[in-house]
Amino acid sequence: MDLSLESALSAPETGAAPSGTIAGRPVEEWNAAYAKVESYFHALRIRNKTLLGRLVILVLKRAMRRAPQEPQLSATELAAEEMDAVVTEWFGQVLQEAPEAAAHMLSTRGRLALLLADMPGKWQEQFLHPPPWPEEFIKAMREAYLRAGPDFQLAKMAPRPLDLGPIATLTNLSTLPFRKMIFVWLTLALLFVALFIITHNLGDFERVLNEFAIWVRNLFH
Amino acid sequence: MPAAAPELSSDAGQDPHLRKYVDRPIRRWLRLFVFFSLALVLTSAVSMLFADLLWRSGWTSSSTVLLILFVILFGLISIGCMHGIFGFVLRTFGDPDRITRLGDFRAKSIKGVSTAIIFPTYNEGVARVMEGLRATYVSLERTGEIERFDFFILSDSTDPAKWVEEEQRWCEIVRELDALGRIYYRRRVSNEGKKSGNVRDFLSSWGRRYRYFIVFDADSVMRGETIVDLVKLMEAHPQVGLIQTVPALVNAESLFGRIQQFANRLYAPVFIAGLNFWAQGFGNYWGHNAIIRTDPFMQYCDLPHLPGRKPFGGQILSHDFVEAALLVKENWQVWFAYDLEGSYEEIPQDLISNAQRDRRWCQGNLQHSLVLFGRGLAGISRIHFLMGIFGYLASPLWLLFLLTFNWALWTFKRSNLSIITVTALNPFIKLSGTAHALLIFAICMCVLFVPKILALIDLAFDRERRLGFGGVQRATLGAVLETGFSSLHAPLQMLWHSKFVATILLGMGVHWSAQKRTADGIAWSEAFRQHWVHTVIALVWGVAIWKLDHPTFWWFLPVLAGMLLSIPLSVLTSRTSLGSRARNLGLFLTPEETLPPSELDTLRVRMALQEKSRASQLPDASIAEAVLDPYVNAIHVSLLREKQLNPEYRDALIKLGVGRPEVRQLGEKLLGQGPEALSTAEKVLILSDADVVPWLHRQAWVRPSKSLADWWQTAIGKYAR
Repeated sequence: MDLSLESALSAPETGAAPSGTIAGRPVEEWNAAYAKVESYFHALRIRNKTLLGRLVILVLKRAMRRAPQEPQLSATELAAEEMDAVVTEWFGQVLQEAPEAAAHMLSTRGRLALLLADMPGKWQEQFLHPPPWPEEFIKAMREAYLRAGPDFQLAKMAPRPLDLGPIATLTNLSTLPFRKMIFVWLTLALLFVALFIITHNLGDFERVLNEFAIWVRNLFH
Repeated sequence: MPAAAPELSSDAGQDPHLRKYVDRPIRRWLRLFVFFSLALVLTSAVSMLFADLLWRSGWTSSSTVLLILFVILFGLISIGCMHGIFGFVLRTFGDPDRITRLGDFRAKSIKGVSTAIIFPTYNEGVARVMEGLRATYVSLERTGEIERFDFFILSDSTDPAKWVEEEQRWCEIVRELDALGRIYYRRRVSNEGKKSGNVRDFLSSWGRRYRYFIVFDADSVMRGETIVDLVKLMEAHPQVGLIQTVPALVNAESLFGRIQQFANRLYAPVFIAGLNFWAQGFGNYWGHNAIIRTDPFMQYCDLPHLPGRKPFGGQILSHDFVEAALLVKENWQVWFAYDLEGSYEEIPQDLISNAQRDRRWCQGNLQHSLVLFGRGLAGISRIHFLMGIFGYLASPLWLLFLLTFNWALWTFKRSNLSIITVTALNPFIKLSGTAHALLIFAICMCVLFVPKILALIDLAFDRERRLGFGGVQRATLGAVLETGFSSLHAPLQMLWHSKFVATILLGMGVHWSAQKRTADGIAWSEAFRQHWVHTVIALVWGVAIWKLDHPTFWWFLPVLAGMLLSIPLSVLTSRTSLGSRARNLGLFLTPEETLPPSELDTLRVRMALQEKSRASQLPDASIAEAVLDPYVNAIHVSLLREKQLNPEYRDALIKLGVGRPEVRQLGEKLLGQGPEALSTAEKVLILSDADVVPWLHRQAWVRPSKSLADWWQTAIGKYAR
C-alpha cells in the first residue's frame, strides 16, 4: 500500500507530536507495525490494495489511540493486539457471538467461515465492514461448517482367533526359552550333519564316524 | 449375528450361473486338477531329463541337491507357463466363467446403495493422493451416480508436514469440487495396526453406513464407470464378498518404470485369465482397487496378532491375502474382475525403490507361512499363500542352485578326474551329453518365453489393444528389449531377495536411507552405494568360475552381467529422459500412453502444474502454515475439535498428552526457539492440541518480534507483499 503513513494517520485524535514520531512512537516503529498488520491481512488473502490499505490504517489508528496509555508496548505490539481485537469483534458481530466468550474459538470459527464463504474470492469488500451486510454473505458465514466426516455409526470389530494348526505348536515352543534354545541347537546340529552327508560320500561319512569312535575310545583308555 | 453367505438355492433372484461354483465343487476341483496336473507333468518330464543328465556325468550327493532345487524352481516356472497357456486359450476362445459374464449385472440399479471409497494414506505424496482422488471423483460425477458414494481420506501420517498438507489440500479439493459432505478427511491419533488398523478404524466408525467399500492405494485411480460396475456386480451377486480388479500400471516416466508398465500391460491380461481359470470364486485380494462387502468383512476379517515374535509373530503385515482367505473360509466368494478396464496404479520408478517395496512385501509374504496351515482355510487360499511365499523364496533357491552347481564343479575339478558321460538311463535319449544339456536349457527358455510369445499373439488378434501398443512390430521389439532387461534385472533381484529372506529369518532389519536423486533419476553415488556389493560379487564369482572352467564361465555370463552392470543399469533405467526418448521412438508404449483416458490425462496435467508451482520452502514450513496461516490454522483446529467427538480418539489424544500444561510449555519453546528445537513427536503433540494451536496463532502474530525465534520472522516474511 503506497500511502504516506504520516498523512494517512494525521487524524486529530493522534494529537500533536514531535517531528519523526507519531503517538509517541518513532515513525519507523509504525512502519514496522504497518508491515505486520499488512502481512496478516495478506495471510487472509486480502488482495484488493485499496481495501488493504484502508484496513491497515483502521487498525493502526486504534493502536495509536491506545499508545499514550501504554508506553511499555511497542507500536507493533499495539497494532497486532488491535488487529486481533478488530477481527475478533467483527467475527462476533457477523456470527452473532459474544467476542469475550472463548475468543480463540470465535476467531477460529470466524476464519473458517471466511474461507468456506469464500471471502477472498467473493466478499473482500465485506471484510471488517460494519453492518448491514448482504443476506447471502451472512448466510454463507453463519452456515459455514467444516464437516470432516459423517455422523459416527460406531461398531466394534473383534478379531477372531485363527487356529494356525500344526504351526501353532512351533510358535508355542518359541515362547519357552530353554526349549527354544535346545531346539535351535538341535536344528543347528542336524543342519551340520546334513551338510556333511550332502557334501561327502557315504563312505567318507562312515570313515569319519569310525575315526571319531576310535578317538573317543582312545580318550578313555 | 454373523454375516452368513446367502444361501443360493433359497434366493430366486440369484444368478444360476454362480451356483455351480458352490454347488458343484467337482467342477472346481477339476479345474485345479487339470491346471496343476499339467504343470506337474511338465515339471516331472523335464526333471527326469535333468536327473538323467546328472546321472550321465556321475551321480554325487550334490546331484541330489541340484535335482531337488531344479524340481522346485522348474515347477514354479511351469506354473507360470500354464497361466500363460490357459490364459491365452481362454482369451482366444472366450472365457464364460468370469464374474462379468455370469449374468447381466449392468441392468442392476444401485439406487439406495451406499458405497465408501477409501484412501488409506501414510506419509505419502499428498498432492498425488489428492489428485488421484480428484480424477476419480470427477470421473464418477460424470456417471451421474456420485450421490451413492462417499470418499474418505484415511490418514495415518506421522509426519507433521504431511498431516498439515493433507488437511490443507483436502479443504481445497472439497471447496473446488463443491464436495463438502461427500469427501471426508480423518487422521488417526496413533497408527496402530498400520494399514489394516486404519481400515478397521474406518469400519468401526462408519462401516455400518455403507454396504460396500472400495479400497484405494495412495497412487490408485479408477474410472467412474468401473466403480459403478463393481457396485453393480456386487449387487448382482450377493454371495460375493470381494471383487479384485487388475490395476493397469500407468504414469511411469523413467525407463525402468515404462518397461515394467509395458510388461504389465502386455502380459498381465493373459496371466490373470489363467489365474482366474483355477481360482474362480476363490480368488485373492491385493490390498487395493477392490470392492468389499462391508458386513462380512467386519465380521470375519479383523485379523488377530500371530503368536510369537517378529518377523513371523505379531501383526499380519500382508493382510490382504489373509482377509481374502478368511472371507473364502466363511463361504463368501472372492473374484478377479480381470476384464474390467479403468483401474490404475503406479509403480516405483527405479530398481532401488522397487527393491525397497519388495522388502516390505517379502516380510509380509514370508509371514504367510504361519497362516498356511490354518485350520478351515480353503485349499485354493493355501495355494495363493504358497505362490506368494515362493515369489520371494525362489530367489535364494536359485542362488543355492547356482552355488551348488559351482560347488559340484569345484569338487570335480579338484578330483582331477576326467568326465566320462555314460548313456542316459532313458533308452530313448540318444543325445550326446552336450546336446542333452542344451535340450534342457532350450526347454527352460521355452517355458519362460512361451507366455510372452502367447501374449504377443493375443495382442496381434486384438485390434484395439494392438493400436494401444503402437502395433505388433513395436510391441514385439518392446518385448524383446524387455526380456533383455529382465535377464539383467533377474540376478539382481535374486541377490536382493536372498538378502531380504535371510535378514527377515534372522530377525534383522534392512536400513534404507533417503535416496539421493537428480532431477532425472538416481544419482551415480547412490547407485554405487546400493550396488557396489553386487558388482564385487559378480567380479569375485566371475573370476572364480573363469579359473575353474572357461566354458562354464560363458554359461554364467548372463547371470553375472546383471550384477556387474548393476550400477549403470540402475542409474540409466531410472532416467526419465531415457524413458521419454524410448516413448518418442515408440518403444514400450501402452494403451494408456497412446490413448490416455481422461482421468489419467487430467491427473498428469495437474501433477505437472504442481511440480512447476513447487517453490523452495522454509524448513518446517508445515508448522509455519499451521500456526500462521489464518485459514490453515482454522481448518486444523476445527478438525481437532471434531476429532474429540469420537470417544476413541478423545481417549487416544489424552493418552498422547494433549491438554497437559507441558504442551503449552512446548508451545512457548516453539515460539522462542523455533521448530528445530523440538522433536517430531513434540511437534505432533503440539499440533494435536486444539487449545494450543489457536493460542500459538495469536501469539505468533501478536508477540513482539524480539520474543520470537528468527525462524518466525522469516515465516511471517513470506506473507509480506
